[in-house]
Amino acid sequence: MFRSERTQDREKEEIVEQTVLRKYNSYYRMAMSFVHNGADAEDIVQEGAYKAIRNSGSLKCIEYAESWVYRIMMNEIYRRLKKRELKSIDDEDFPEPPVEDRYEDVDLIKALDSMPENDKAVIQLRYFEDLTLDEIAYILGENLSTVKSRLYRGLKKLRCEMDDAGLKGG
Amino acid sequence: MPENGESILELLRKHYEKPSMSEEAVSEMKRRIEKAKKEKRAMAKRRRMRGWTIAAALTLAVLILPNTSSSVAQAMANIPVLGGFFKVITFRNYQYKDERNVADVVVPEIRVEEKSDDSVSEKGKKTADEINAEIREITDRWVEEFKANMEGEGYQNLMIDSQVIAVTDDYFTLKLICFWAGGSGYEEDHFYTIDLKTGERIKLADLFKDGSDYKRVISDNIKEQMRKQMAENEGVSYWLDNEEYPEWNFNEITDDTSFYINENGEIVICFNEGEVAPAYMGTVEFTIPKEVVADIMK
Repeated sequence: MFRSERTQDREKEEIVEQTVLRKYNSYYRMAMSFVHNGADAEDIVQEGAYKAIRNSGSLKCIEYAESWVYRIMMNEIYRRLKKRELKSIDDEDFPEPPVEDRYEDVDLIKALDSMPENDKAVIQLRYFEDLTLDEIAYILGENLSTVKSRLYRGLKKLRCEMDDAGLKGG
Repeated sequence: MPENGESILELLRKHYEKPSMSEEAVSEMKRRIEKAKKEKRAMAKRRRMRGWTIAAALTLAVLILPNTSSSVAQAMANIPVLGGFFKVITFRNYQYKDERNVADVVVPEIRVEEKSDDSVSEKGKKTADEINAEIREITDRWVEEFKANMEGEGYQNLMIDSQVIAVTDDYFTLKLICFWAGGSGYEEDHFYTIDLKTGERIKLADLFKDGSDYKRVISDNIKEQMRKQMAENEGVSYWLDNEEYPEWNFNEITDDTSFYINENGEIVICFNEGEVAPAYMGTVEFTIPKEVVADIMK
């Protein structure tokens, strides 16, 4: 009994570590889209990696490891944003990311960026990280209908047509 | 401005996917991962040891280690007498050294001076016997663990020592320090406080009026101190207010939480590594200001 508990824990730890090592850039990009600062985004991923491994014992089901780690990373991002709010850091301290590509549409980027946090998270997790709405609901700790509303609202803001195919993917 | 919904998202996706982590940042992330693993091992080890203490008591495995290398001979007279009749002597009862394993175990023992049979020294003898037995059990367990580990391939370093701290007219505390290093370091302290007026061992509850909620009062003060420290110093962190892993959070001290009374008569609560904070914080102590407990103390 004792040994197998340890083996189980080790398994979870390994899976979590593999997941982090495979997906760290995804977390980094998500963090960047919120904090707009490389150093902060790196901190978030590093802290999230530490917490994920430290608490890997509380992962209930190995199949959900990826979502589980995402959740930790999203929480870390929100924690960092909250800290900023409390310190009331000026927007001037964090200049908008430079628009390098002349094909980039500044208005669109701004539109996505200025959405309520969870709306933005839903759009990004769905269309940039290719997650299902169920996974997104788990990661954000919200129910499916809330996630759907956020998706609709976000897409509307981006002036996209509601794509039936895209929504069926939930 | 593209009209088609899909290419809006494609555009945004290209922008989103630009950043990637630098090599140094990835290396640092890997280091934090290793740190997390070490902390977990240390914590699990500690939990296992707790289990063994109980098992040892139940099966009455008595380990008799001969006091052959006793260095007590050196002037018993030089050892300070506490409260008129207690003396703490120490002797080195286990020492070992090879290329990978080093141990230096110095075990304290509380002795009671032979005096008249007043009740205080009678109680004192009982207290001393009880504490000495507990200490032997702890140190024996560490030595057994050390011996068992020698079969492995890692290196290890075991150091056990003690200190008499916070001596006043009313109390003294014997602190047993167990330090084990093998890859990462791990320290575990035990505290034994004796009331010099009664010869009895003090438990935290003994200091407070019956029915007072001393655990809550003290714990609330500790949480205040934790929050203050975390606010003032980025490097400090405690397991408190953590929403994702509330099971780790410090909630309340127990009747067995370690403590001692310092020279100012203040209660100091002591936590071992990993108890209320990540292991890198080491052992942590909180001094409880007198005002906080003034109206519930006896």
